[in-house]
Amino acid sequence: MSFQIGKLISLILQERFGIIIEKVGNFLFEYGSNPLLYIMRGTELPLGKVKEALCILIKYGLVTFKPNNNENIANYSLCIDNILLMTRYPKFLNLLKKKFGDESEMIIEELLQNSYLSTSDIIVKVAERLKCDVNDLPNVRDKFVSLVVAKYIQRLPTPNEEERPVPILEIKESVLFSLPKIDMKLLSQVYLKKIPKEELGETVFWIVNFDRFHQDMRDKYLVDAFTKKFDENVGEFVKLLLQQMYIRTDPWAETSNPVPLLEIKDIVRKKVIYPNLVTFFDQYVTVIEQDPSQIIRKSGEASGGSFQIQLKEAYNQIAWEIVEQVILEKFDSKAVRIFRLVKLKKFVEPDQIQQLAMIPSKEAKKLSYQLLEENFLKLQELKRPLANNGPIKSFTLFYIDLESIVRNLLELCYKTLYNAMTRKSHEKFINKRIIDKKQRVDAIAMGIQSQGATEEQLADIEDMITPPEREILGKIDRKMKKLNIEELEVDATIFLLQMYLKYQ
Amino acid sequence: MVDEHKLIELAKSKPDGISNDDIKSAIPDAKIEDIAAAINKFLKNGSFELYQDNGKLLYKYKDPSKKSTAKGSDSEEKIVFRIIEEAGNKGIWIRDIRFKSNLNMTQLNKVLKSLETKKYIKAVKSVSASKKKVYMLYDLEPDSSVTGGAWYQDQDFESEFVDVLSQQCLRFLTEKGEEAKMHGGGPLLARNKSYATANDVHKFISELGISKVRLSVSDIESILYTVVLDNNAERIASGEGFLYRSTNKFLSSVGLVKTTCGVCPIANRCADTGLINPKICEYLTDWLEEN
Ligand code: SF4
Repeated sequence: MSFQIGKLISLILQERFGIIIEKVGNFLFEYGSNPLLYIMRGTELPLGKVKEALCILIKYGLVTFKPNNNENIANYSLCIDNILLMTRYPKFLNLLKKKFGDESEMIIEELLQNSYLSTSDIIVKVAERLKCDVNDLPNVRDKFVSLVVAKYIQRLPTPNEEERPVPILEIKESVLFSLPKIDMKLLSQVYLKKIPKEELGETVFWIVNFDRFHQDMRDKYLVDAFTKKFDENVGEFVKLLLQQMYIRTDPWAETSNPVPLLEIKDIVRKKVIYPNLVTFFDQYVTVIEQDPSQIIRKSGEASGGSFQIQLKEAYNQIAWEIVEQVILEKFDSKAVRIFRLVKLKKFVEPDQIQQLAMIPSKEAKKLSYQLLEENFLKLQELKRPLANNGPIKSFTLFYIDLESIVRNLLELCYKTLYNAMTRKSHEKFINKRIIDKKQRVDAIAMGIQSQGATEEQLADIEDMITPPEREILGKIDRKMKKLNIEELEVDATIFLLQMYLKYQ
Repeated sequence: MVDEHKLIELAKSKPDGISNDDIKSAIPDAKIEDIAAAINKFLKNGSFELYQDNGKLLYKYKDPSKKSTAKGSDSEEKIVFRIIEEAGNKGIWIRDIRFKSNLNMTQLNKVLKSLETKKYIKAVKSVSASKKKVYMLYDLEPDSSVTGGAWYQDQDFESEFVDVLSQQCLRFLTEKGEEAKMHGGGPLLARNKSYATANDVHKFISELGISKVRLSVSDIESILYTVVLDNNAERIASGEGFLYRSTNKFLSSVGLVKTTCGVCPIANRCADTGLINPKICEYLTDWLEEN
């Protein structure tokens, strides 16, 4: 794992859990999987603290454990991916809210905050937040049930039957999404605080299934991409194709199984929002099928034809475009032209570049060597004798190794995230005095407001913050927002690049 | 107009040369100015040579194919001349002349200089290598592989010219695409209408009149390829040639390129400590101050 990721996760752990957990995390990152005593020694923390830290980390799925060779001792290791995922939580929530509404978002939010919850916990917590009447509980339950059915929530693995010093957590594939009976009568009693929830005797706990969210994100970005390249009708077509794909294909297959066109046509007809897609359905299909991107291909003629979507190829092309964008911004459009020339030709001699890309030879040389220096291009030397026993001529050829570029760009993304987060805490640090003051004033204002203070009194309190201070606070606020948005957007880039790697 | 052919025939028939009077008597109905113009032309292209004989001007016919027997050239010059002549309008590099003529460098340089001053040959800078000169006969038009064709002015690649053309080609394709869409009738129809051939684009560019030199269709084809390379158009094979049409990309700007760090030229040197760090980075500061 890379240096940059190490720095980033250390910062994430510190921001969310404080420095002790950060220390434990750093140790595990650096030295890999280790037993408790080693962690204690390495971090120089008291045993109690290390245990506490590990507990929290395990609870949130950020650390896992496995029995050591000596079955009595556990080895702990860090789940780096899950730590990085924490920056993606806002995106998960947003996605869910758009798709299923506020209640469902709240369910996921509770789960993300608490890591795992029982069925009653989820329903009661969300109902309390919504200030539901007891009669509305079934509503919340239905939302919860549909999230399980749609696989956004799954069961928490539990220790398996065998008694062992280090338990092995397991869950059978078959019950991953199976719902236990929910006794609404008892649940209502719990909600009304008439009986303690322990009386429900629950044994099933739920966690968020990130994988399902990633499928959604993958699909959403694909639909967006097709909408951008063609129009919203094509976007809708792709959306339906993906939707129908799930019925018959493993969600992470490189290529979907064939989806009959008639199926899609039927759904489109029932939807009123895309009249053009209905009218010109066959034309759209031809355009999509004949597009040089070749992401959606016809796979059979039977019963009106069926189509497959090449998910691997789609993310391959998306990765290329990202790389091209980065080159465009770092260098210029000529550099991109050179890059794309090498991409199309696979191997290119330096001399050909100037001619085909129509760039003056000096500039072409300069740019291609800059691209080489930043690892966007690679050089291969070929030696070939001109004639038998003749002098050996060497050719140099440019080529591209996309996967290694993508890995470099991912590093750059992590660095960008790290820098944004560092800057955020630095801005807070240098303005600490003002921020603290604002918090104190707010607290006082809240306090006297609850005691029924007059408008005037409240205004007096507010005035403790001077106009220049107010201005500074506004500025800090804007900066924080900007950096937060940047983090989310960079995470989207990370996701796209990860998708490319996942399909490799 | 003078019958130039008649004039040549006349000169050929008199190897010792013809005078102005000879011409007048042979072609009595020609105007003096026309005759003068014709003679000047022949003198220029080497078909005639001018002599003075007792204060009288004589024109002598000279077979252009035998120009190599130029007077005053010694045998070395003749050899070199022939080698250069053979190379045609692609020219020949000095090293190859040396190799073929077996002359040493000083000798060869002298010969070349002499031939050059006599305007039998000329040196042309080749675009394929900036320091490489090739030699060819004086009155030849260098091949486009030497001059680089329409994109070169005195061996300099006219980058801006190419850029402008590339932009205009894209504009043409984009407008054509938009027009096709406006027409309605469905996406397939619109797509088919949005294709253009290099000929179509050539016509448009010619009518724009932005080019000083005449561009060929294949010149336009090269320009169109840059539009394809820029990922602004696609081309598909169709019959003998290609069809072009403007296209959109899959992505709008991704998050990474919107950040300062994603496109930072000194990101490699940026660390927690040291002068380049995210806490005080000016790029970030400026970006944060922007609205
Ligand atoms: S913080 Fe500044 S110097 Fe560092 S990578 Fe980002 S833009 Fe570049």
